[in-house]
Amino acid sequence: MEKEYLKGSLHPLTLTMNEAVSIFKDLGFSVEVGPEMEDDWHNFGALNFPDDHPARDMQDTFFVKDKEGMVLRTHTSNTQIRYMENLVNSGGKPPFAIVSPGKVFRNESTDSGHEMQFYQIECLMIGEDISVAHMKGVLFEFFKRFFIGDNVEIRLRPSFFPFVEPGFEIDLKKGEKWFELLGAGMVHPNVLENCGIDGKKYQGFAFGVGLDRLMMMKYKIPDVRLVYQGDLRLNQF
Amino acid sequence: MLISYNWLKKYISDIPSADEIADLVTFKLCEIEDVEKLPSGDTVFDLKILPDRAHDLLSHMGVAREIAGLSGIDFKLPECERPKPNQTDLKIDIQTPNCRRYMGRIIRNITVKPSPEWVVNYLNSIGQRSINNIVDATNIVMFGSGQPIHAFDLKQLSYERIIIKEAKNGDEIKLVGAEKTSVILKETDTVITDGNKNLAIAGVKGGLDSGISDNTKNILIEVANFEPISVRKTANRLGIKTDASKRYENDLSASLCDFAMDEISALISEMCPDASFEEIIDVYPNPQKERIISFDSEYISKMLGLNISNKEIEKILKNYDYKFEQINNEWKVLVPLMRLDITGDYNFVDEIGRAYGYEKIIPLIPKINFQGEDNSNWEKIFISKQKLIEDGYKEVMTYAFKDKGDLEVLASASDKNFLRTNLSDGLKESISFNQKNLPLLGLDEIKAFEIGTIFKKNGEEIHVAFGDKKKITEMTLDEFTLLPENKVFRSSYFIAKEPKIKDLTDIKYVPQVFKPWSVYPFITRDIAVWVPEGTKPQMLIDIYNSFGTELLVVEPKLFDCFTKEKRTSFAYRLVFQSYDRTLTDEEINLIMSEITSKVISKGWEVR
Repeated sequence: MEKEYLKGSLHPLTLTMNEAVSIFKDLGFSVEVGPEMEDDWHNFGALNFPDDHPARDMQDTFFVKDKEGMVLRTHTSNTQIRYMENLVNSGGKPPFAIVSPGKVFRNESTDSGHEMQFYQIECLMIGEDISVAHMKGVLFEFFKRFFIGDNVEIRLRPSFFPFVEPGFEIDLKKGEKWFELLGAGMVHPNVLENCGIDGKKYQGFAFGVGLDRLMMMKYKIPDVRLVYQGDLRLNQF
Repeated sequence: MLISYNWLKKYISDIPSADEIADLVTFKLCEIEDVEKLPSGDTVFDLKILPDRAHDLLSHMGVAREIAGLSGIDFKLPECERPKPNQTDLKIDIQTPNCRRYMGRIIRNITVKPSPEWVVNYLNSIGQRSINNIVDATNIVMFGSGQPIHAFDLKQLSYERIIIKEAKNGDEIKLVGAEKTSVILKETDTVITDGNKNLAIAGVKGGLDSGISDNTKNILIEVANFEPISVRKTANRLGIKTDASKRYENDLSASLCDFAMDEISALISEMCPDASFEEIIDVYPNPQKERIISFDSEYISKMLGLNISNKEIEKILKNYDYKFEQINNEWKVLVPLMRLDITGDYNFVDEIGRAYGYEKIIPLIPKINFQGEDNSNWEKIFISKQKLIEDGYKEVMTYAFKDKGDLEVLASASDKNFLRTNLSDGLKESISFNQKNLPLLGLDEIKAFEIGTIFKKNGEEIHVAFGDKKKITEMTLDEFTLLPENKVFRSSYFIAKEPKIKDLTDIKYVPQVFKPWSVYPFITRDIAVWVPEGTKPQMLIDIYNSFGTELLVVEPKLFDCFTKEKRTSFAYRLVFQSYDRTLTDEEINLIMSEITSKVISKGWEVR
C-alpha cells in the first residue's frame, strides 16, 4: 500500500509548477533551472536587449547594489541562454526542447495581481524547422491539459519582445472569457547567434507564462499576495 | 499613444469604421488599451506602442499607413503648400555627432494668437491642451508625423545662428514648464545654443528664455534629429521625459524632417497669412541610406509553418506600397526609411504573417529528435519536497526580501530592500503564525518546510529548511539530498514513481476550488459526549454540523476517545468563525447549548 500523504502538503504553486512541468515533459521537453541573481549579459544582453535602449524599460528591474551589472532576473530566459551556451561549449547542437521554471523578480508595486517576486515557466524549442504552427500546437496542447475540463482556445496578437521575432501576446479563452496570458515568439536569430548557434540554420519558439497566474486561474485564488505569506491555510489541495 | 479616428482621415479618406480599425489593429498591429467615444463624435484609441515600432507608430501618419497597408486602401500624405521663401542669414553649425540633422527656418512677422477651431479639436481629442497657434502647430506636426519640432523666439537669440554642441559641465539652463525650472548640465548632454547662450537641451526640452511668448514676432523653427542614446541618457539623468524625448530615444528617421518642415511651414502660413518665410537651412552630414532587404518566400513559410504563395506575398507587399523586385522565391524589398525596426529577413515573417493572418496557422505538435535530461537541481528539489511531505511537513513560500541581509537591491518599491541570507527566519515566522491557527488547520502541531534560494555576499545557494516550533534545521539542497536517509529515498523514489504518461481519457476531472478564509478571529469549543458503546461517531458529527450552523468552519475534529463500562466518550473540537464579523462568546454559547440539548434529547450525556 502507498504511504499516506495526509500530513504533509505542497504549496499550490509547487503543485501548479509540477503539473506544468509534467505536461511539458510529456511533450518532449526537459527541465532546466538557473540562478536567480544574474549578470547583465544573461538577463539582457544575450537576449538582444541593446544597452541604453527603451526596451529595457519594459521590465522593471531590481539592480543589486555594489555588484556591478548584477540584477535579480526578470525572467527565466537567463536559464535558456546558459543552457544554449553550455550546449555549444560541450560540442552539442540543436534540436532541443527545454522548460525553465523558477522564481523571477520585478520592481513594481504590488496589488491583487502583481507581486515583486513570482514564478514563471519558460519554454524553448529549437530545431531546423520549428515554426509558429508548432508554437501554437504546444501552447494549445498545454492549456488543453492544464485546464482539463474547460474548453480552451488560444489566439495570437502581434507584440514585441527583443528576444523574439515575430513576437506575440497569447490570449487564452477559458469558458466564455478571453485572458491575456503570456508573451511568445520565434527566437530572434541574434539570440541564437549570441549563444553560438547558427541562426540561419536553426529556428524555434520561446514563450513564458506566469505560474502564479496559472495557479490563481486553476484554483480560483483571488489575490496573489496570499501566496508568499507562509500561511498554511493556502495548502488546500 | 492616443490616436484620433478623425485625425486618421487626414491620411486615409477611405477609412474603415472605428470598430473595424479596432479589430484590425488588435490582431495585426498592436494592443489597444482603451477605446473612447468622445462627445464630439470622434473615437480615440489608446495604442500600446512598443519600442520596435516607436520609430513610426508614435504618430497618426504611421498608424494610418499601417491601417491602409493592412486593408489595401490608399494612404496619402497631406499636401503642403510651400510658401515662397526670402533669403536668410541663418547659420547652423553641428559640432557633435549627437545631432544627425538640423533644419532651421526663420519666419518673420507672425502673430501669436489662439489656434483655429480644427487645431483645438484635434489636440483636445488626444488630451492635449491648446496653448497658442505657434506652439499648437508644432504639436500638430509632432502628433501627426511623429517629428518633434521646436520654435524659438528669434528676439531672444544673440545672433541668427544655431550651434549644436556638447554642454559645458556645470552649465545651467532654465526650462519651460513648472516642475523643474532650472537644471545643471553635464558634458554628455547636447545643447542648442546661439553661440552665446544655451537655448534648449537637444531633443529633451526648450529653455524658458527662448520660448514663444504672446509678444513674439519672429521665430526660428527647429526640425532636427538627435542620436537616441544621448537623448535617453540626458532625459533619464534629469528625470525629464517629454513627448519629444520619448520619440528621439526610440530613434527616428532623419528623413522625416523634410515633410515635417513642409507641414509646419504650411500650417504657420495658414494661421499667419502675413508671415514671411526665409529659406530653410538644412545641415545633414550623413543622410540616411536606403536599404534593400532580401527574403526567401520558403523561409517565411518555414517560419510560419504554412505554405504561403508568392502571389499572396505580392499582394501583401503591394497593399503596403512596398517597392520590391521578385526573382522566383527571392524578394528584394526597399525598406521604407521610417521602418528602422526592419533589419533582416526575419522581420518579413511578421510583415507577411500578420497581414496574412496568424489565425490561419494550424496548430501542429512538433516532432523533434531530442532526449534531454532534467537539470539535477530540479530533480533534487522535486524529490526533497516529496520526501519532506512524506515525513509530514507542509510546504510554505516566503518572501526573498528582508529588512536586513548581505545584499541590497536599488530603488525597491518596498521597504524591504535586502535579500534573505537564510530560510530559517522566514520559516520561523511562518510556523509561529500558523501555530495560532492550529484549530483552523485541524492540526496538533505545525511542521513546515521551505526550499528556496538565499543570497550571501559571495553569491546564491539553494537551501532546505524544515522544522517545528521547537527546532528548525537548515542546510543546502546538496547537503539535504546527501543525508543518509534521503539517499535511499532518492534512489527508490524514481524506481517507484517513474513519471507515467497521463492518459487524459482516464482522468475524471474534479475542479478544486480555493476556499477563502475569514479575517475575523475564530472561537473553539471542545465537547465530550458519552454514548453507548458501538454508537457511530458520525451521529455526533451530524448533530454538530447541523446545529453548528454555517459558523462551524472546520470539520469537527476528534481529539480524544475511550470506552469505559460499555460507554464510549468522544471528544470533538468545534471551530467557529464568521466571514463578516467578530463572533461573541454569547452567540457561540447559544449554539453550544442547542447542541447540548440535542445530545441530551438522544439520551446521551455531555461530560
